[in-house]
Amino acid sequence: MNASATDDQADVERVLAGDISAFEGIVRRWQTPLVNLAYRFCHDRGRSEDMAQEAFLRAYRGLGQWRKDAVFSSWLFAVATNLYRSELRRIPARTVSLEDIAEPPDTRASDGGQEDSDYDRDTAVRRAVGALPAKYREALTLFYFHDMDVATAARSLGLPEGTVKARLFRGREILRSKLPHLSAVPHLKEA
Amino acid sequence: MRRLTEHDEAEINSILSREDEILPSSGFTVSVMDAVRREAAAPPPIPFPWKRALPGLVVAGLALVLILVEGVVAIAQFGKATTPQLSMSMPPVPPPIFHGGIGSAVIWTVLALLVAFVSVKLSIRLTSGRV
Repeated sequence: MNASATDDQADVERVLAGDISAFEGIVRRWQTPLVNLAYRFCHDRGRSEDMAQEAFLRAYRGLGQWRKDAVFSSWLFAVATNLYRSELRRIPARTVSLEDIAEPPDTRASDGGQEDSDYDRDTAVRRAVGALPAKYREALTLFYFHDMDVATAARSLGLPEGTVKARLFRGREILRSKLPHLSAVPHLKEA
Repeated sequence: MRRLTEHDEAEINSILSREDEILPSSGFTVSVMDAVRREAAAPPPIPFPWKRALPGLVVAGLALVLILVEGVVAIAQFGKATTPQLSMSMPPVPPPIFHGGIGSAVIWTVLALLVAFVSVKLSIRLTSGRV
């Protein structure tokens, strides 16, 4: 068990014993990941902090339900993911439809700067992800948030790994079909 | 739909892995802990008063069963009274529940209103904690 996991367990035990201030340690350790995960769902800084705060509150209310056979952070991410998904279903993030995603410019035909074309391409891909159906968008969001670890993404989503893999594959295929010029950009092929 | 190649996958991985990281605002921890302390200070949710409600629920259940049994018996008797042989010679006999006429209807209506009134009074007393 690493230091963070040991600290988490000790803080949870103190909170459950009635020492509320011990929860601050958990908040300090996990605030950046939880806010960033929320930001990837809603792409709104203010809203991401509100969502993360609600996730911490939910975790506080449900601390007694954490079974210590699972790592605390896995449980916390599952709680947060569940909340973020519900929030986004209730009030969706502003997205454009997949049909309206602007194609990234084909750099073979333009003499624009490399930075501009990179920026356009990245923006187009991220917008396209935002416009995917929720089940594919959520799988992709969690997969890249967890450094491309399917098992962790699956635990956060509460889904079998096979289902997450299938959704990732299908989500990427939809992206590819909506952004056909992506692999036409020469430098990207070296990635 | 065009199939996803390894290059495509590498490109998408490369782009989506480079998400910028944001930092929570300086007051975030304080704000969360304030919310947690408010949560801890709030009185626990009032549990449903099963002990107090149980007698009423039992009476209501028994009444429901009684009404159902009465209804089934009435329908069975009504069915017997309207057998083909009899229906040819005499009009169908109404079930016993309809025998009382207007006097019986008034009694039932008063009884129903009384039950409703008692239910409302009891629920108000239960919620105001005066029982």
